[in-house]
Amino acid sequence: MTGVLIVLATVLVQVIMVNRVALPGGATPDLVVLAVIGVAMARGPAAGAVIGFCAGLLVDVMPPTAHLLGHYAFVLAIVGYLAGRGLGTPVTTVMLCVVIAPLLAAGLGGLISDPRVTVGTLTDQVPLTIAYTLILSPIVMWLYNRGTRPGYAT
Amino acid sequence: MRESRRARLILGTLLTAALVILTVDHRLGGSSPFGPLRTAGAWLFGAVEQTAGSVTRPIGELLGAYANAPGARDEIQRLEAENARLRTALIAGRIDAARSEELRRMLGLAGRGGYKIVTANVIARRGSPGFEEAVQIDAGTADGIRPEMTVLNGDGLIGRVVSAAAGTATVVLISDRGSATGARLEGGQEIGVVHGVGDNGRLVQFRLLDSTAPLAPGSRIVSFGSQHGTPYVPGVPIGAIERVEATPGELTRVAFARPFARLSALDVVGVVVRAPERDPRDSVLPPRPQPKKEAVRPPRRDTLVRPERDARDAALRGRDATDAVRSPARDSTVDTPEQDLGERYPGEERSPGRDSARAEVDPGGEPEGAEVAPDRGQGETGRESGGAVRPPARDPGDTRSPERDPRSARTPGGESRDSVRSPARDQGDGGRSRGEGGR
Repeated sequence: MTGVLIVLATVLVQVIMVNRVALPGGATPDLVVLAVIGVAMARGPAAGAVIGFCAGLLVDVMPPTAHLLGHYAFVLAIVGYLAGRGLGTPVTTVMLCVVIAPLLAAGLGGLISDPRVTVGTLTDQVPLTIAYTLILSPIVMWLYNRGTRPGYAT
Repeated sequence: MRESRRARLILGTLLTAALVILTVDHRLGGSSPFGPLRTAGAWLFGAVEQTAGSVTRPIGELLGAYANAPGARDEIQRLEAENARLRTALIAGRIDAARSEELRRMLGLAGRGGYKIVTANVIARRGSPGFEEAVQIDAGTADGIRPEMTVLNGDGLIGRVVSAAAGTATVVLISDRGSATGARLEGGQEIGVVHGVGDNGRLVQFRLLDSTAPLAPGSRIVSFGSQHGTPYVPGVPIGAIERVEATPGELTRVAFARPFARLSALDVVGVVVRAPERDPRDSVLPPRPQPKKEAVRPPRRDTLVRPERDARDAALRGRDATDAVRSPARDSTVDTPEQDLGERYPGEERSPGRDSARAEVDPGGEPEGAEVAPDRGQGETGRESGGAVRPPARDPGDTRSPERDPRSARTPGGESRDSVRSPARDQGDGGRSRGEGGR
């Protein structure tokens, strides 16, 4: 329940606030991915996949939207599963998931021949998004470390 | 292991579902079955976003402002600099336009008169410490300016050069008390002298040499011209007569004229470096406004009297019309409506008395009244001998209005209102019947 609320709030914050801040380079950090990673790491692969799928659907439906429904549901389901399963230490898990998410989204867009996915997107926007998200990722790691300590109610 | 298999199963199902959704949405496009889902999402989250956005927009703007702060300061400085530059350019453009207009008018005047001028700007003015009215201009002997040259601007005469240095020259204005300029009345040969009276050039004194020549407010004077055009070239407009002084017994008549050029606000001036080949006479004067033109022409007695009579006739006509409504036989019974007439048209009956009063206080009120003013001032002779011994100034045009003379001769001297009014009323009635007969 807490995880669902966290994801929902993150999605709203992402759309309302973060995407409006004009950061240098024109890209913004992807908080939704971070939230999914954090919740999935705390809950395990199955719950992570479900949470990721739901969060992705939410992102797909949330206006303003112009891409196909199910795009981010697919990506975030995989990310949630991977984060829940764990890829080495928590730090590497978070970092790998953060790197994988935009690449997966771009790859899926390329598969369905999304005209917005071009080489320029891959070279300019995706690395910047990854960089910004990585800058914010220590928050998730810190929360996860706190959560694994006894006394953290999940 | 079992947990992991279950998780993989769930992941596989979800991915399949996502791919199915994706494919269906992609294939069906606009008619996708997920359209309602999208719409519902848009409605729900749109509302949420709107509410939250209105709350958090200031925060986002604040963040944006912080993110852009270094650039914003530069931007503000750049804009301020640009703003100052544009404002300066705007003011400069406005000043340039005004100067260009002045130059254009001055060139027009010089062209009409055939003067060859050198333009200059007034750069200094003699202020209150000092008695002379003089300005300094930024053109001198290097520009061909010599002492004793005429200075004018687009409106009229300004003064003459008294001394010239290499780059500057000193101009004494016509309003200087020591300045005397030969002047000529427009449309005639009557000449006089314009003296300055100080007063920042608001008025100049015009002394007409022939005391019998007609002189009325509104008539304009131009420069008479000196020998070889030095210091004054002929034909430059000087001013318009504003009021005529009553100078009984003097050999000259004195009037005060308002200069055409605003001597207190001079900017662009021109120095006449070569006089015209022949006297431009009145051609330099600007065209008169149409209604004034009729009123102040030299044979002005006729034209001046006519509107007043017309107005009175109109009044009479109006009265006749009302009388016709009330009683058609009013004309035959002249004595009964007398009182009524006096009450309803007191201004008309009293007008000569009022005219004389005004002529004493302010002769400039009305051209006609001002001209008669000297006669009225010494009204004894006029009263004793009727219209016959009036000064010659009044004679030439008087043939048209005999009915006015007895009245104007008799009334000014009268002490009590009644004694003035009764003959005047008689005359007024006589004038009315005569006027109607004439009509």
